[in-house]
Amino acid sequence: MANVQPAVISAGFCEHASKRSDVNMAELVNEAVEDCLNKAGSVEWKDIDYVINGNMPAFEGANMPELWMTDHMAAKNKPLLRVTTGGTTGGSVFVSGYYAVASGLYDMVLAVAFEQQSCGNTTVGLASVALGELSIYPSLGYEATRLRRNMGAGAAIGVASYQAMNYMRRSKATEEDLARVVVQNRRNAAKNWWTHLKMPTITIEDVLDTPYISYPLRFGMVCPASDGACAVLFTTEEKAKQIADVPVYINGVGSYANEPAIIGVDCGGAGQTDPCEQLGAVKSAELAYSQAGISFPNKEIDYAEVYSPFPNQELQWVERVGLFEPNSAPEAYLNGVTALNGEMPVNCSGGVNSTNAIGASAMERPAESALQIMGKAGNQVPKTVHTALGHGWGGAINLISHVVMADEPQRKFK
Amino acid sequence: MTLNIDEEQDVSVTKGMIRAEFNFWVGIVMDKFYDGLQEKKFIGTKCSKCGKVFLPPRNRCGDCFAKAEDFIDLPETGILKNFTVTTYKISERKTRNVKKDQIVGLVQIDGADSAMVVPVININPEDLKIGMKLKVVWAKNIKGDPNDIAGFEPIGGV
Repeated sequence: MANVQPAVISAGFCEHASKRSDVNMAELVNEAVEDCLNKAGSVEWKDIDYVINGNMPAFEGANMPELWMTDHMAAKNKPLLRVTTGGTTGGSVFVSGYYAVASGLYDMVLAVAFEQQSCGNTTVGLASVALGELSIYPSLGYEATRLRRNMGAGAAIGVASYQAMNYMRRSKATEEDLARVVVQNRRNAAKNWWTHLKMPTITIEDVLDTPYISYPLRFGMVCPASDGACAVLFTTEEKAKQIADVPVYINGVGSYANEPAIIGVDCGGAGQTDPCEQLGAVKSAELAYSQAGISFPNKEIDYAEVYSPFPNQELQWVERVGLFEPNSAPEAYLNGVTALNGEMPVNCSGGVNSTNAIGASAMERPAESALQIMGKAGNQVPKTVHTALGHGWGGAINLISHVVMADEPQRKFK
Repeated sequence: MTLNIDEEQDVSVTKGMIRAEFNFWVGIVMDKFYDGLQEKKFIGTKCSKCGKVFLPPRNRCGDCFAKAEDFIDLPETGILKNFTVTTYKISERKTRNVKKDQIVGLVQIDGADSAMVVPVININPEDLKIGMKLKVVWAKNIKGDPNDIAGFEPIGGV
C-alpha cells in the first residue's frame, strides 16, 4: 500500500498523425510536455524533481532516446528513468510515476511516453517484441526458418486474430459486432483534438466493405500506426489540492504478466491455449479494485479507457476487467451503453483503434480517464465521472497495466 | 538463415542477416541547419531567455526550458575544444585501417555555446593544441547533409 497518496494534476498530448514529419522525436515529445505543463496551473518546469520516459524498444532505431530528448522534457540535471515494456510501455511509465510519488521519494513527477512510428523501421523493432523469445527457439531445436512459418500472421494482428476467433466462438459475436466497436471509436476520435483517424461519418457497412488482413479482422478494423506523445504530471495529495481544480487520485494499480500465450503454443507447452482468457487482465483488475476499495466495478466505475488496437479486444477487455458479464459486451455496444452518453462510456477519446503511437498508447488511456474526471477531456462525457479506469496491454503478448482513479482519495487516507 | 548444431561443443549457432533501414525526420531546427550548409553557412539557434547559442541547433534550452527557435547566422571559424586521433576509418567498416591517422575534434564555433564533433584536417597530430583556432573546409559537392563539412583546418596553417 502506498505511503503517500499519489494524484494526477495534468495530462498533455501532441497532435497525432501518421507522419509528423515536421518534427523530430525530441520536438514531438516537447509538444506534449509543453501542453502538460501549460495545463498544470502554477507548476513550473523547475518544480519537477523526477522524470520518467518510455517508448517501444528500438522501434525508431534510437536506443537511448531519453538522453537525446532530456532538454526537451525538462529533465536536464534531474533524476531520469527509462521504462520500456512493449505495448504496455505507456502503462508501465504511468505506473512508475505512481510508484515514484507513492514511495515518498519524489513530489512532482513528469512521465512521458511517445512513439514516432514513421521513423525507423517498425517491423524490425516489432521483431524484438513479437519474437521476444527468439533466442530460446534454437535451444528447443527450432530452426529460425521454421519459426516464420509457424507464426503465420505475424506481430500484433496475428495475436489479435487468434483472440478474435476465440472471443467470437465464446460470445457468438459477429463481424458486425466488431465493426460497431470500430464505428464508435472512430466517431469519438473525430471529436477529440489530438487523435489520428477522425471519421465522423463512418458506418458499419464501410468497415465490413474492406478486405481481410487476417481472418476475422478486416483492414478497416485495424488501428493505424501513429506518431505521437503523451505527458502526465504526478504529485502528492497535499500539493494536488493546492494546484489542481479537480485533483485525480490514483487509488489502485495492478500490473500482471501472463505470457507467453501464442508464442507458448509454438514453443511447446510453455503457455496457454486460449488467448482470449486473459487471466493477467482479470488479476490486474482484481488487485487494483481491492486497493481502491471497489467491490462492484460494473456499478462503481463511471468511465473506462481500455487498450484495444483491434475491436474484438475492446469487447474482451471490458468483460475481463469486470465492467460487463462475460459475453455480454456486444449487446451493450448494440444498445449504446458504452456510447458517450451511455451508462458506461468506453474509449470516448477514440481509443487505440483510432490512434496508436504504440509507446504512448497505454499511457493515453489513464491520461484520458484522468481528464474525464477533471472534466477537461477533448470528448467529455456529459455525466459527472467520479471513478475511472485506464488499462494497457502489451509485452510480447500479455503484460497488463490497470489503473483506477477517482476524485476522492483512497479510503485509507480519508 | 541457417542453423548448425555442433554436437561436440553442444552449442547451436544461428547465422543470418536482418536488413534494417532506418530513417529519421530531422525536425524544425535541424532542417534549417542543413539548408544553411547548402549555402555554406552555419545556422544556430538562440535561447529566448538566457541567450545561449546552440550549434547544431536545438529548439529548447535545457537550462531554462525556454524556446530556442530564433535562428542566428554563425561564422566559419571556431576553437578546438578537444580531440582524439584514430587509426581506424570512422564511417567505413570494410576498409578498417587507414593509411594516415584521422583526427576527430570537438569544435566550438565562435559565438556558439555548444560544440560539434567534426574531422580535423590538414594538420599533423603532433601539432594539435586544444584551444587553437580552426576554420571550416567545405566539401566539393554540397548536398545539404553532414558530409558538406569536409573538416576543420588550422587558420593560416601550422
